[in-house]
Parts: sequence; C-alpha cells; structure tokens
Amino acid sequence: MIKKLLIANRGEIVPRIIRTCREMGVATVAVHSEADKNAPFLDLADETVLIGPANPALSYLSMEAIIQAARQTGADAVHPGYGFLSERGAFAQAVTDAGLVWVGPPPSVLKAISSKCYTRKLAVEAGAEVTPGTLEPVTSPEEVVAFGSEHGYPLFLKLDKGGGGKGIERVSEPGQAAEVFKRAGSIGQMAFGSPDCYIETVVERPRHIEVQFLADAAGNVVCLGERECSIQRRHQKIIEEALSPVVDPADRQRLYANTAAIVKKMGYVGAGTLEGLRSQDGKYYFMEVNARLQVEHPVSEFLTGVDIVRHQLEIAVGLELPWSQSDIKTQGHAIEARIYAEDPETFYPSPGVISKVVLPQTGDNLRVDHALADGCTVPPYYDPMLAKVIAYDQDRPKAIARLIEALKAFQVEGVKTTISVNLRILEHPSFLAGEMDTSFIAEHLGLT
Amino acid sequence: MEKSVNAIMPGLCARVVVNVGDKISAGQEVAVINCMKTEISVKSEFAGTVSQVLSKEWDELQVGNPMVMLEVEE
Repeated sequence: MIKKLLIANRGEIVPRIIRTCREMGVATVAVHSEADKNAPFLDLADETVLIGPANPALSYLSMEAIIQAARQTGADAVHPGYGFLSERGAFAQAVTDAGLVWVGPPPSVLKAISSKCYTRKLAVEAGAEVTPGTLEPVTSPEEVVAFGSEHGYPLFLKLDKGGGGKGIERVSEPGQAAEVFKRAGSIGQMAFGSPDCYIETVVERPRHIEVQFLADAAGNVVCLGERECSIQRRHQKIIEEALSPVVDPADRQRLYANTAAIVKKMGYVGAGTLEGLRSQDGKYYFMEVNARLQVEHPVSEFLTGVDIVRHQLEIAVGLELPWSQSDIKTQGHAIEARIYAEDPETFYPSPGVISKVVLPQTGDNLRVDHALADGCTVPPYYDPMLAKVIAYDQDRPKAIARLIEALKAFQVEGVKTTISVNLRILEHPSFLAGEMDTSFIAEHLGLT
Repeated sequence: MEKSVNAIMPGLCARVVVNVGDKISAGQEVAVINCMKTEISVKSEFAGTVSQVLSKEWDELQVGNPMVMLEVEE
C-alpha cells in the first residue's frame, strides 16, 4: 500500500482525501502557495510544503515544484484531486517517471482522451450515442456549411482539445461559417496547441446526467449510480443529486452497460465519470469523460456507502475491486449544494477574509466538505468554491428538506456567498417536482 | 498629465489589451483581471494616450494597483 501520499491540490478536497488516508494509515503531505500559507486545508496534513507563489502557474500547476516536494518529503504517491493538473497526461507521466504511484488513470489514457474526437469515436464504437455532430475534425468552412445544410442551424464548433467551457463557438447561419471556423482555429492553437475543431448540434433544454464508475487494472468496472447535475450556471454545477429523479431502471441499465463498454475500450483504470445529456424526448447522449475524482463524488458515496477515495488508492497500487456490479446497492437519496464566494445576485466574485463561519451540525446523514475557519482568507487567485453540503435521507423530499435545514444553519461573515441561491433553487416548486434542465437558473431565478 | 488605470478587483492580470502609443477613449477596456476564475474588465475613466503598460499576464494584483499609465490632455 501507499505509505505517504502527496496531495497536489488546495481547498476542501485536501482534508477530504486526508480523512480517508488516516483511516487507511497513510501519511499525508499537503502542498501550498504563498497565498495559502495559513490556509485551514493544511491543518490536518502530516507535512506541508511551500511550492511557489500565489500564481497557480508557478505553484499548483508546476509539475516540477510538486514532484520536487514529493522527493523532499519521501512521498511515494501523488493524488491530484480535481482541476489543476489532475487530467494532464504529461503530469501523470512525470509522476510515474519519478518512480511515484499516480492516483489516476494511466498517462497514455489521459493523453488519448484529451482529444474529444477520439473519445466520441470510441464511445460510438462501444455502442453509445454521442451528441449529434462529426466524429472527425472538420477541415474547411465548406464542410461546416455542408453539415449545416443537411442538419440545420445553429451548430457549434468545438475544439478537439478544448475544455472548461472554453472554445465553443456558435454558427447561426452559413454566412458565419468561414469567420467562426477561422476564429475557433486560432483560439485552439493559442489556448490548447491545436486548431482542430469538430461540429456538435444543440440538444435543446437537456438534463445533465453522469455516471460515476470505478475500474481496476484487471478490467472490472462497477457503476456507482448516476448523478443529475442539471442545475448549473455558465457550465458550473450548483446542485447535484443521486439518483436522478428522471432516469428509470431500464435507462439506468443501458447507461451502466454503455459506461462499462466505453471504460473498457479506453483501457481506463481508476475512478472516473462519464458525462452525458438527456434530451427532452428521453434520449441519452454521451458527452465526455471526467478522468478524475469529481467535486460531487460525496453524493455517490452517500448513495452507495462506497468510499471512492479509498478505492482510488487501492486501484492505484493494483488491487482489484472487491465487488461486481450486482453487489452495489443504491439506497435512499443524496443531494449536494455547492457554496461559492460570489454575490448571490450578480455572481460577481467575492474574495476576502471570512471573519466568522458557523457550520451546520454534521452526522450520519449530513456531511460538510470544506476547509474554512474563523479568520481564514479566501484568495482571489483560485476557484470560488468554499464548501459543499451533502444531505442523505430515505427519499428525495426528505433529503432536500435536510439540505435546506443545513443551509439555513450555515453562516459565513466577511465574504458574500451563494447560500441564498441554493435555497431559492431547493424551495422552488419545479425543482421539488423534479422538473429541471440546464436552463433552470436563468428561467426560474432570472439569474445569468 | 499622467494618470493611471488601476485594478478594480484583486486577482491575477489576465491580459492588457492596449499598447504604448494607443489612443484610447474614456470607458474603453484596457485590461482584464482574472478574479477567482471570472474575467473582470478594467476600463479607463479618461481619454488619452497609453504611455506605459505596467502589468503583464499572471501578475498578482491588489485593488488600486496601477496597470496602465495614460498621458491625458488637460
């Protein structure tokens, strides 16, 4: 087993990973930038290492600094968390080359799936449907126009190597094709080192449905239920729940079968998520793979009783999964609200110092994943997410009620938060009825 | 006289979108700050000619740090 794990991340995910490490007897190393030198997320780590200045390019994104920190502390494994370097094939490779255990999918898989066209083709070969569009990059504006005259407008040019909502360009009519094609290519070249883009058409008012899975090196794959994450703002998830109120058992069986087929074909090993869309007429489309531990993983942990981080660590050292799919039971309902340091009306960022924080009472059915303390700083350099509150109960209405109660008890002074936005969503009749799609916040709350 | 266009939020400089010698009008965007992954536009209060660019990508900024200097006609 791993003896000492370095966590190459910051914020709430650091204490989350440390909690499992302590249960498993694994020592921990947390790294931090100058801006985070007094941050509460460092408190539980056995050792901490300063890796660079506030600028994430020179700290949390610096492969050299992180590997140096691992060498210096004698860590034998690296967990990348989410965001930052978590899905960089080059980092996974560098960690492996340094003789360390990489807690994530193999470097070769990460490199291959950084191409969206590769992943889309592979999903189709595995028998899944992908969002309608091309499977190969388009090579000229004429191809875009030809596609448009066959399938209609609007359509989107998406960068093959894009991500994080960047590099999605809309083409509303044939006259725009040449200009948009050129612009997308130059953005791709500058931001991602490749001008390649492909076409996707619009799925109107979709619901976001994703499947959490674990895959071991022996080829075993289990799915830990789907999550519904339709409540989003600018592609940023706000509320996530499992199971989805709209997915029926037959759909779920197909989603699981597709997930296992895609994951095996990829040669994926580790924890991951297949993200997809459900159209209004009930069709499911594979979108992309998130090759990491996801922010919303606690929802699936509550639903199944599985500690995903523990199995990431076990899979990373070659252990086989202890179950088959039929051993995984999904019981009750779990729901998570993300709290951001943002103005609840404008979503304008709100960095600063938290003078006082009051957390809800946690227990078997309520979890708060955070790294907050009275007097802590919320730096302006990183992601605005402050905390996640996750509630579990025997059914959806009870789980929602429990989450509402917890959010009402959660107090943060000194920076603005989106707690009131969460409450407006959770108390909305449409949400309570399970009726939602990705336009919910704009449509029902009038927020953009 | 010379006037500065200052950071309106803390964060990292995402980019400066003007060059020395550019003539700009009041209200024109001169730079973009990345604050908690949100891009915040920094606009000039004055019309003038850019005399110095003080910020570059990834610079750490506090509120009030000068990013661009302008030669403003009186």
